[in-house]
Amino acid sequence: MQKAFLVDGSLCLGCNTCAMACKNQYHQDKGILWRKVREIGAEEYHNDNNNILPTLVSYQKAPKAQMPMERFYFSLACNHCENPACVAVCPVGAHTKDPETGICKHDQTICIGCGGCVKACPFGASKFNEKMNQAEKCSMCWERQADGKTTACVQSCPVGAIAIIDLHDPKYKEYANAAPIGIDYAINAETKPSTRFIHPTMPKEVYRLPKG
Amino acid sequence: MSYSKENVESIVNNGISRRSFLKGLAASGVLSSFPGGILQANEDLNTKIPYLGEKSYQTFRNACPRNCYDTCSIKTYVKDGVMQFIEGAQESTYTRGGCCVKGNSYVKRVYSARRLKYPMMQVGGKGSGNWKRISWDNAIDIIAKKLLEMKKEDGTLLGAALTKYSGNFGITHYGIEGMFNSIGYTTRLAGTPCWPAGIDAQNLDMGDMWCNDPEEMKDSKFIILWGVNPAANSIHSMKYIYEAKKKGAKVVVIDPVFTEAASKASQYIQIKAGTDGLLALGMAKIIIEAGLHDQKWLDANSKGYKEYKAYLDKEIKLENVSKITGIPLAMIKELALSFAKAKPATIWMGYGMQRHTNGGSMIRAIDAFVAVSGNIGKYAGGARYGHLSTWGFNYAALSMPKPEGSVGYTGPEGAKGDVAQGKDAKSNYTDRFLNINKTARELLNAKEPKVRLLWVACKNVFAQDFDRNQLIRAFQQLDLVVVADQFFNETAKWADIVLPVATQFEEYDVNVSYWHYWLTLNEQAIKPLFEVKSDLEIAAMLSKRMNQLQSGSCTFPQSVDTKAMMAKEFNPGIYEQFGIKSWEELKNGPVKAKAVIPYADGKFKTPSGKFEFYSDKALELFGSALPAYLEVRKPYDKFRMTSPHSRWSLHSQFQNLEWMEDVHPEPYVYINPDDAEAKMVKEGDTVAVFNKQGLLRLKAKLTDNVQAGTLLMYEQWYNNNIYNVNELVDDTSSDMGAFKTGAPGVALHDTFVNFRKL
Ligand code: SF4
Ligand code: SF4
Ligand code: SF4
Ligand code: SF4
Repeated sequence: MQKAFLVDGSLCLGCNTCAMACKNQYHQDKGILWRKVREIGAEEYHNDNNNILPTLVSYQKAPKAQMPMERFYFSLACNHCENPACVAVCPVGAHTKDPETGICKHDQTICIGCGGCVKACPFGASKFNEKMNQAEKCSMCWERQADGKTTACVQSCPVGAIAIIDLHDPKYKEYANAAPIGIDYAINAETKPSTRFIHPTMPKEVYRLPKG
Repeated sequence: MSYSKENVESIVNNGISRRSFLKGLAASGVLSSFPGGILQANEDLNTKIPYLGEKSYQTFRNACPRNCYDTCSIKTYVKDGVMQFIEGAQESTYTRGGCCVKGNSYVKRVYSARRLKYPMMQVGGKGSGNWKRISWDNAIDIIAKKLLEMKKEDGTLLGAALTKYSGNFGITHYGIEGMFNSIGYTTRLAGTPCWPAGIDAQNLDMGDMWCNDPEEMKDSKFIILWGVNPAANSIHSMKYIYEAKKKGAKVVVIDPVFTEAASKASQYIQIKAGTDGLLALGMAKIIIEAGLHDQKWLDANSKGYKEYKAYLDKEIKLENVSKITGIPLAMIKELALSFAKAKPATIWMGYGMQRHTNGGSMIRAIDAFVAVSGNIGKYAGGARYGHLSTWGFNYAALSMPKPEGSVGYTGPEGAKGDVAQGKDAKSNYTDRFLNINKTARELLNAKEPKVRLLWVACKNVFAQDFDRNQLIRAFQQLDLVVVADQFFNETAKWADIVLPVATQFEEYDVNVSYWHYWLTLNEQAIKPLFEVKSDLEIAAMLSKRMNQLQSGSCTFPQSVDTKAMMAKEFNPGIYEQFGIKSWEELKNGPVKAKAVIPYADGKFKTPSGKFEFYSDKALELFGSALPAYLEVRKPYDKFRMTSPHSRWSLHSQFQNLEWMEDVHPEPYVYINPDDAEAKMVKEGDTVAVFNKQGLLRLKAKLTDNVQAGTLLMYEQWYNNNIYNVNELVDDTSSDMGAFKTGAPGVALHDTFVNFRKL
């Protein structure tokens, strides 16, 4: 099993409820977001300012997106990679990959704050908290899931634009290699990120007033 | 002006610093469960609060009391007396387990270092920035003495004014008006800046403002979102719209702006602002000519259809409709006919549309179109605007008698007021009502007696009211301005005394929505932090002091328990409507009112008992019996400015929070690329946007989400930015509002500006 986020850009309102629900649950410091709602066509994922050093992955160019400003989004957190760089690089085993669920967890009680994972993650998903001198990231609310709840972000999304799927379930095969449009998501990264996407489209009919 | 930010902030932040607050918690053993990081004396709650399992928390029922369609039912998780996180209540199918981005910032709001913590007095005069911490006793003593002194000098308390609006819509918060009722006849800033023109329009047409349950929209076959943007402002409604769309319904957004909702619709139709009423009239004409109107329903349920039809026949030329609205005739026809053929079909009208000088007339025209199509009184149909049908509480906190011998207003306008102002039927006096939408002007002009004391509650006057320069003058001439709030906002800066107010998590209350049909209990989840007090407790303290100084001078209870006050709001009608026997049942979760389809029985509370295309009342009050086309305000500057609500704030709340700054740090002006090019403005440039009222400086974003000729800026209050879009708005009235709310609305969206690159 590989639990993964399926994010549906056709439903996403860009409301940022998911990102704030995550802060509400875990109280990330000002300036840190484990989940970020990214505007299609507007941002460079690999320039995430919490990613303190440039990563080694060369990004695939984002497929061009001619989407109106501030209207179409994908919500992204840690991608719970199949070959997580964070797990590989951590010298003390603070990052682990759950063999059963595939969730990549980070344990702050073990973390020594070396920052290796922050540098190694191709997605800027692992953040460095300078006040605590430790790394931190989305652990797919594994404690909530173990308690029979869904993740805070999924539960809060008003339109069901984030789902948790099992990437190994053949029924999700169609999403296997769908790189998102307008976001330079390194789908080919060696870490094999698990997040998958449903692409948004413009309304079928759009009428704008003529010029002048 | 010697306002010093540092000075204020050090007072705001230092009195009880976060460190000493946390020390207090540590002493009481509360902190043992916190991860180590939180003990740092910085302004943030540090990462990471682990989720400990449902059983580790105490849970409480809360509600989001803001001026929001969605009025979420909240479940609050508390550990050792400290709020850990909130969730949307699962019991409400409407809230469905989640709040919005704003609701999810509540923990930060409660524990924000920026909160007002204790009473303060601006000893250097208003706007001086020279503040001193004072005790509650001292603050209340100053206010009580001032009130009694005014009463002695003026022979009345009409010199004391209250301005309160939508900062907290909880039912017990009408106790603030109750506090003013309890001291005598006073002056009230009356009316509503929000939705009055539309309220009047719906009341003229249908005798009420009453909408179908939004959850029914999932079964609508055709939905027009007309000037409404639920994808930003009523996100919980979107799931029903999506469901309808998935089942094959067409969702059309008509709006001058390509909104978030437009981006998710089946069709977006851009329209010239202020011409929506004309479009609705044209659409009605089209379906009547095609024989698609519901003659049977009209015969049985309407008054004046003949006159209305004659007006359409004679005055409405479809080519003109197309020309003035900017929409091709073929598209208008297609829209009208497909709406009329789909059953049930519904229109949701936003509040922005009626913030024009012809706003009420536009809502009337759309109501009429929905009526002609036969969709009024139908499941999943309706002309939706809002409702107050679940608001039948006792208003016990509001209904305070006047002290014996109180003298009030007998001005030329005579007795005037509406239910919410506590009019005394047995008396010859009334309160004095000033138009809330012209606050500055009215405060300056009020005579005999002059307004000398202003109490501000549940409202950020400087962020939400108009004509800033006059406001400053008005505030400066007042003897005493009292601001009760949670944050040190711009209005507080112009106060003499600020009083720190409890959040909803620190008091009891009960909440309903003006959109959906759920009822939610709001429990006290944590002890009030610092020295904050609920508005009811403040009223009680004032009563106690006034009675000490002059027995019988205030009738408000001298000590209150917010739980008991909340319980007093319930009555058999509410219990019957919601199918509960006691409010205690609400501890198990929110409940929904028994389903009623508005007007399904064909009964309207209009004078004729029918849907009134022709309204004598409208003729009497507004000069037109029919929903006739009224031209919108003429431009007085180069560009129209529109200032809709953003997703990040509710009026002046939420955007100021540290967490909100992480997802949305700063304001922008959105400019159409053609207009920007003409002014040599590029993406990210700082521009000045200005008009006869004022000038704002901010960064530009270029987008054809806004039409050429229009600038868009969101209405927001930032903690660290002087930006305030209402500084550009004058106080020109909309056409309607005076009928039901005591004062006309404001034509906010008929503001005109110019801009240039800086
Ligand atoms: S909560 Fe849902 S709709 Fe809102 S931004 Fe997140 S994914 Fe998108
Ligand atoms: S996205 Fe980064 S932090 Fe998350 S599992 Fe992959 S490598 Fe690790
Ligand atoms: S799964 Fe949990 S930790 Fe990860 S982004 Fe969502 S809410 Fe945050
Ligand atoms: S602001 Fe509205 S949507 Fe957000 S939590 Fe409050 S009631 Fe819910």
